[in-house]
Amino acid sequence: MTHVLATYNIKGGVGKTSAAVNLAYLAASDGARTLLWDLDPQGASTYLLRIKPKVKGGARKLVHGRTDAARHIKGTDYERLDLLPADFSYRHMDLALDATKRPTRRLSRVLGPLRVDYDYIILDCPPSISLVSESVFRAADALLIPLIPATLSARTVEQIERVVEKDARLLTFFSMADGRKRMHREVMQDMASQYPEMLHTAVPFAADVERMGAHRMVLEEFSPRGRAAKAYRQLWQEVRERLN
Amino acid sequence: MGKETVQYEVSRDLSFSDLARALAPSFGLLAEVEEPGERVFYDTFDGRLHRAGMWLVHGDGRFALGNGDGSEVAGLEWPKAPREVLAAALPGGRLREALVALTDVRPAARLAHVRVRQRSLRVLDQRRKTVVRLRLEQPVLAGPTNAELTPRLVAAGITGYDKALKEVRRLLALEPALTEANVSLQDEAVALCGHAPGGVSSNVDVTFRADDPATLVAAKIGQRLLEVIELNLPGALAGRDSECLHDARVAIRRTRALQRALRDSFPAEPLRQFRAEFRWLQQVTGASRDLDVYLLEFEAFRSTLPGRQQEGLERLLELLGERRARERRRMARALRSSRAQDALGGWAELLGDLPTTHGTEAAGPVSEVVGARIRRVFRTMVAAGGGIDDASAPTALHDLRKQGKELRYLLEFFTSLYPAEAIKPIVRTLKALQDTLGRFQDRQIQAELVHSLGEEVRSLPDGACALMAMGQLVERLDDQQAQARAEFGARFAEFASSRHHALVHEVFA
Repeated sequence: MTHVLATYNIKGGVGKTSAAVNLAYLAASDGARTLLWDLDPQGASTYLLRIKPKVKGGARKLVHGRTDAARHIKGTDYERLDLLPADFSYRHMDLALDATKRPTRRLSRVLGPLRVDYDYIILDCPPSISLVSESVFRAADALLIPLIPATLSARTVEQIERVVEKDARLLTFFSMADGRKRMHREVMQDMASQYPEMLHTAVPFAADVERMGAHRMVLEEFSPRGRAAKAYRQLWQEVRERLN
Repeated sequence: MGKETVQYEVSRDLSFSDLARALAPSFGLLAEVEEPGERVFYDTFDGRLHRAGMWLVHGDGRFALGNGDGSEVAGLEWPKAPREVLAAALPGGRLREALVALTDVRPAARLAHVRVRQRSLRVLDQRRKTVVRLRLEQPVLAGPTNAELTPRLVAAGITGYDKALKEVRRLLALEPALTEANVSLQDEAVALCGHAPGGVSSNVDVTFRADDPATLVAAKIGQRLLEVIELNLPGALAGRDSECLHDARVAIRRTRALQRALRDSFPAEPLRQFRAEFRWLQQVTGASRDLDVYLLEFEAFRSTLPGRQQEGLERLLELLGERRARERRRMARALRSSRAQDALGGWAELLGDLPTTHGTEAAGPVSEVVGARIRRVFRTMVAAGGGIDDASAPTALHDLRKQGKELRYLLEFFTSLYPAEAIKPIVRTLKALQDTLGRFQDRQIQAELVHSLGEEVRSLPDGACALMAMGQLVERLDDQQAQARAEFGARFAEFASSRHHALVHEVFA
């Protein structure tokens, strides 16, 4: 059975891409055949994995089913981890989806034939509430939601809960958490009691995560002993347990 | 998802610098840490994975199932390499699904254990992106001999970078220390461990000409069948692979068909004795096989009952297991007895003594002898089947099935003598008829077996519940038997059609 996961948040800069890339790497190194689809036109995941952000025919052909997604997949530097790259045309993916029948089912249809080849498909989503995100909610078995521990975090969770499908599983976790900040500590404590179903692992705010862009590598490659790498390992373990 | 893999044999020490030089300036090379690895290769006794161009290997705490181009199609974490892998016993998932489709009920046994000193290397393009993976391997056979295997370089393509692999192959072809390997590491290791890389075939596959003397053909086919029996007997006695017993029994039954069909090729008195001995061999293996079939189909039977009744069958399953263990012990005693050894050894001697050269016309050219026998068996079947009606006893259908088996074996043995297109429709309808007759007989045996266990179950503390479930099971078996009986008329009519009559008389004249 293929698990489709999506890293999602309405807000940008909360650690979606770092989570998508590092968790996809951990899934692959566990032996699972893993595909990461970089849906964000900025192409940060694609950049980190040293792949050219180009999909011939762009978003339109892909979502209209006029091109086979498998043809655009590239193997990464890591065994069993493949990438469906970003393309700048993804900035118009909403329009491309809107021009189709049943637009929210489109991404599921694109993923359909790929399920045979992968154990995990991870979608790295752009920050917004749009047709793309609605389509992602429909396609994903679970949404991985990174939250910066701030006063508006609870409000973000409520907003997401309102828009996602009733049966979609939300796996919320703290990201860029800074234990030195009193407010972070308090928010994390409050939210843990308000949302007991939240994942227990918090990914710390760490320079290592920022350095991923300079190294163009996953954390396990250049800083496996760092706090952030350790947190992602724990997070992946927790996600796996929840999925099973 | 095609990720091609190419293996090279390495004829001398090949260093990182040698490889870097071979690939420069088009590509860079990045070495990873050298790691020891272990690989345990598996396949079924009859080489089903090899035949399908697939491989199953255990290494680094996981199973990987791969295809001919080297890419993995399914994997599963599994800490230790087991002695054998039965697909149905694996946890649900892609590996189990793929393996069940490939191996069915046969376990994949451990064939070779290899220790590898391996260094992974990444071939990088101008943007430092990995475009091909290389692996330098120095394998040895694990075990007391530590026999060295051919050092290899494996080049594995990466999805979306086919051109890079093509270019890397072109450059490696210029390196004098490398030659593309014709034999995979798995096949080399398996052969060194004394196994056949493609497994053991139970097919007859004997070739001869229409004007060959029948004695020559009898000896060739008989010797091949004897070989199949002897290859499968150890597995049948070990009891881990139900299909070894099945294949041994088929070869015994085929030998009996050969003894009947080419009887004039054998000396009369010894043949009479050997026919009796092979009948005995078939009898002493029958009960074990019936129980194997029952247990292989048990879960399918159980799933037809409502939930609570399914639990009631647990006790029956245990009893069937115990009975099979008893029958296997009985069978093993018989097969290890001097009577069985004498029968097989004596038959081998008799086959070896048959005059096999041209000019020995004891029984005439094989095509004449066989054609007459096939016509006769077909006629007998048509007459016997035509006489079966609703009032006929089940034994009439069982006897017809036996004749059908003989006809099928004869058509298989001698298929090379006749035009394939002509015999295909006969074989197709015969197979369909045999399937129906087989189901009819199996369900009857299975229902009788459940009945025979009734008394034993009644005396158990939880017997009442089990008895109720068994009653329901017998009902299902009776229904399936009745269904097979209802199908019989149509199946037989297709087989015995006037078109087939004409065909048999024309082709086997």
